[in-house]
Amino acid sequence: MTTLSTGSTGSTGPGSTGSTTAPREAAPRARRTGRLSGRPQFYRSYAQELALFNTRPKRIWVGLIVLAAFALSQMLTDNHLNTLALAYAFAIGALGLNIITGLAGQVSLGHAFFLGVGAYTAAAISGDPDGRTIGFGITNILVWLPAAGLVAGIAGVLVAPLATRLRGLYLAIITLGLVFIGEHVFREWSDLTGGAGVGRESAVPELFGLEFARDGDYLTSDQKFYLLMLVLMLVFALGARNLARSRTGRAFAAVRDRDMAAEMMAINLPRAKTVAFAISSFYAGCSGALIYSIIGFFEPSTFGLLLSVQFIAMVLIGGAGTVSGAIMGALFITLLPTLTRELPAYVPFISGQVTDTPNVFQLEQVLYGLLIVGFLLFEPRGLFGIWIRIRNYWKGWPFSY
Amino acid sequence: MSSPVSRIRDHAAAMPDAVALRDKHFGIWREWTWASYWEHVQLAGHAYLALGVVPGDRVAIHSENRPEWLICDMGALAVRAASVGVYPTNPAAEVGYLLNDSGAKVLVAEDQEQVDKAFAVLDQAPDMVRIVYLEPRGIRHRYDSELLLSWEDFLELGREHRAAHPDAIAEVMAGQEPADLATLIYTSGTTGPPKGAMLTVSNVECAIQVLVEQGAFTDPPPGPKDLTLSYLPLAHVAERIFSTWFNAAAGTQVNFAESIETVPANLREVQPTILFGVPRIWEKLLAGVETRLSGASWFKRAVSRFWLGVADDIGERLVAQGGVHSTSTRLKYAVGYVFFYRALKDRLGMRKVRYAASGAAPIAPEVLKFFMGIGVPMHEVYGMTENTAVATGNRPGRIRLGTVGEVHPGTELRIDEETGEILTRSGATFAGYWQREEATRMALTPDGWLHTGDVGEWVEGTHVKITDRMKDIIITAGGKNISPSMIENELKASPFIREAIVIGDGRKYLTALIGIELDTVGEWAQRRQLGYSTYRDLSAKPEVVELVSGIVDAVNADLAQVERIKAFRLLPKELDHEDGELTATQKVKRSAISQMFEDTVVEMYGGATR
Repeated sequence: MTTLSTGSTGSTGPGSTGSTTAPREAAPRARRTGRLSGRPQFYRSYAQELALFNTRPKRIWVGLIVLAAFALSQMLTDNHLNTLALAYAFAIGALGLNIITGLAGQVSLGHAFFLGVGAYTAAAISGDPDGRTIGFGITNILVWLPAAGLVAGIAGVLVAPLATRLRGLYLAIITLGLVFIGEHVFREWSDLTGGAGVGRESAVPELFGLEFARDGDYLTSDQKFYLLMLVLMLVFALGARNLARSRTGRAFAAVRDRDMAAEMMAINLPRAKTVAFAISSFYAGCSGALIYSIIGFFEPSTFGLLLSVQFIAMVLIGGAGTVSGAIMGALFITLLPTLTRELPAYVPFISGQVTDTPNVFQLEQVLYGLLIVGFLLFEPRGLFGIWIRIRNYWKGWPFSY
Repeated sequence: MSSPVSRIRDHAAAMPDAVALRDKHFGIWREWTWASYWEHVQLAGHAYLALGVVPGDRVAIHSENRPEWLICDMGALAVRAASVGVYPTNPAAEVGYLLNDSGAKVLVAEDQEQVDKAFAVLDQAPDMVRIVYLEPRGIRHRYDSELLLSWEDFLELGREHRAAHPDAIAEVMAGQEPADLATLIYTSGTTGPPKGAMLTVSNVECAIQVLVEQGAFTDPPPGPKDLTLSYLPLAHVAERIFSTWFNAAAGTQVNFAESIETVPANLREVQPTILFGVPRIWEKLLAGVETRLSGASWFKRAVSRFWLGVADDIGERLVAQGGVHSTSTRLKYAVGYVFFYRALKDRLGMRKVRYAASGAAPIAPEVLKFFMGIGVPMHEVYGMTENTAVATGNRPGRIRLGTVGEVHPGTELRIDEETGEILTRSGATFAGYWQREEATRMALTPDGWLHTGDVGEWVEGTHVKITDRMKDIIITAGGKNISPSMIENELKASPFIREAIVIGDGRKYLTALIGIELDTVGEWAQRRQLGYSTYRDLSAKPEVVELVSGIVDAVNADLAQVERIKAFRLLPKELDHEDGELTATQKVKRSAISQMFEDTVVEMYGGATR
């Protein structure tokens, strides 16, 4: 390193002239952190370049969108709020999968398993101690949510050694196996899960006496759920965004782009992959606990391959590797059924009944497949890519490049 | 007695933490505060003293624009020595000439390239005691010479000297006299070898008073909130004014471009508020807009065409009204600003420009009008090394296109009735050419009038219009006086033409040697699926000749019969400083060109050798 720095950097200037006098060292830089107005490309420090929202317009727009999201809680009907709350909970899971697949580049089909681990951990901790299934009666969300995440995260760490030895298709098969093992365990361990076809009550959300499942004096249950999920999603999204621009996050991206090259750059590959799995599983566990706390009841067969595929669809359709893409994808996929269920009214040959063929539920499955194929073919960067394309069109105005 | 150095000292005392300079360092605009700038100037001054530099000595600086350039320049002034700027593109032979002619005692060379040039001509510089290098790459641990001194060691030398003699700088500065030589600025030398114009401290101070404090250029005068981009060679008087002296006098923030190639990108980042450019820069920016628009999608092209049309109208009206908006143009511009001009100016890096100027060479009015139309307040100014660039300038709101503006307050200007030559007189008129009394006598009259060598005339009694350089005026065989630069500029206004040299002295008709612009013509050829390999190949293509022929015809249409170009040839190579075809400031050396392409010229006149 020493030879490199003396050879290439030169060293003229206020910072690098080495052992210069104290007043001069103290005088330049450091104190100014602000941006020069109207000069978005003018960076005066690396911190400015790496900032969460590096320009003022970005800050303003994100602020407005968040504000609008909060305002929705007062504007939409409970029914719609419920769907959106669910979508936000799914978004947390999508953010998790995005970390392992989009950011660190490790294909994982086992997301459903971690979701299940989280959901059952939360349900067991907050469940009725005298009930049919295991329960400890601690209903405070501040206890069961981190616990769900942590247990899922530990499960992720346990799986990680496999992942560090395999990649690509082999890793996908391994994680696929994980889903089947999970499904089997959940089905057979009926003390915890209630058993196949029976199921159990899910986690009871309560925060210092504030019960989310009941209508309050000011807010209905759905409004409370909506706000809770919105806040949590923002926290998790912020966490994911900060992770992506941290040293760890950059290490993930390096592993994704070329693991050998990453190793050459002194990135500890097994460690990076393990951390990625742990964080991703933590997100999945929290997401699982939250999703079913909204629904109220769940049974073991939920955590099958289809759930994993749904999450992969969210990440791919939203745009792999980006936080806002994962959120967009989750919203899109969760809101899709609401749209398709309207279809029978307009398209006569599609039935709303499960017993008929073709019905809307089959159509949903087909749509997931079609959308994934379509996006991979035409816009591999997903919904986020479409946004980028629109943005670049205007960013380049009035030129094209 | 104030000087640029004392002004820097005062800024450092008044606003030590404000930004004086910025340079790009590993992708970040690194800031130099006034305190840090002044500290470095002092260290450089002490180091010069330690090296034995005494008042009246010369210090040569051979570097691209960077903070160290200013520090070495001002450091020299602090110890009453004069700086000599050497163009980074100067080949070794010219460096040798300059070092020999100026008798510089210390040379500050930027990197290995410039150090190598200095070593190649060391025998011509007997007075040289030390060569200070800024970039150690390729030099440190490789070159073994007593003469070499690294920048760090140079500063360390200054530090030691300061420890031993803490008041040395203040003492020397107290003895500063108005007649002290501040800098030697070598003229570009289109005809003979370069001559060093001696600018004294009082010349510089006078220029600062007129141009900065009285706001002869900008209105309101420049201040600490203004940003400039430094990218033209500091060895030239214009860049010295807009970077070094604006900064020292008004406290403007100087941002150093990474290199001349990165100017468009740096402009976009910095978005300067005051921008000076030579015609070549403005022409290139204009050509860039046209090229990039032609590559845009059809919708963007259509929108751009519409708004550029409107800009044309606005420019036309602004020109007619001296640069003042009328209600209708203001309204049109306001609407266009939302849809087009704001974005365009942002991409060009001129969204914040409150004053733009073109000078140092003649420019086609069309180019100025384009920038005025899109909302860049463009002014043509006039001045030269010999009068510290204090002569005339178009004032905001009183612009006459095609003229170089009004005479600055406190400056006298008259036009010789016989020859039409412009003469100026002011406190900024130089002290003479370095060690060339003959040349000084020819340039300066005993009562202080400077022969500018430019032919001009009055327009409306207030504005000055420059016709041409006196020695460039062509007298045809028919006895007609023709100004070639006017025709050349009309040609160069086309984005496809980079260089045009009109020939015809003593001939029956005019001809031209034309150099194409590789970027734009190359792009034009590509869109027509016209394959080419090199510049030479491209300029030999019949299609390209036809393209240029169309441009020549269009220019001819507006000219009088005797001024028309009857024949032209395309230059087979890009003109270059290192090959001796251009001066360091990219001015064409006519004599060299006509010698080099003599056969081509003879051919255009049907074999007649005059």
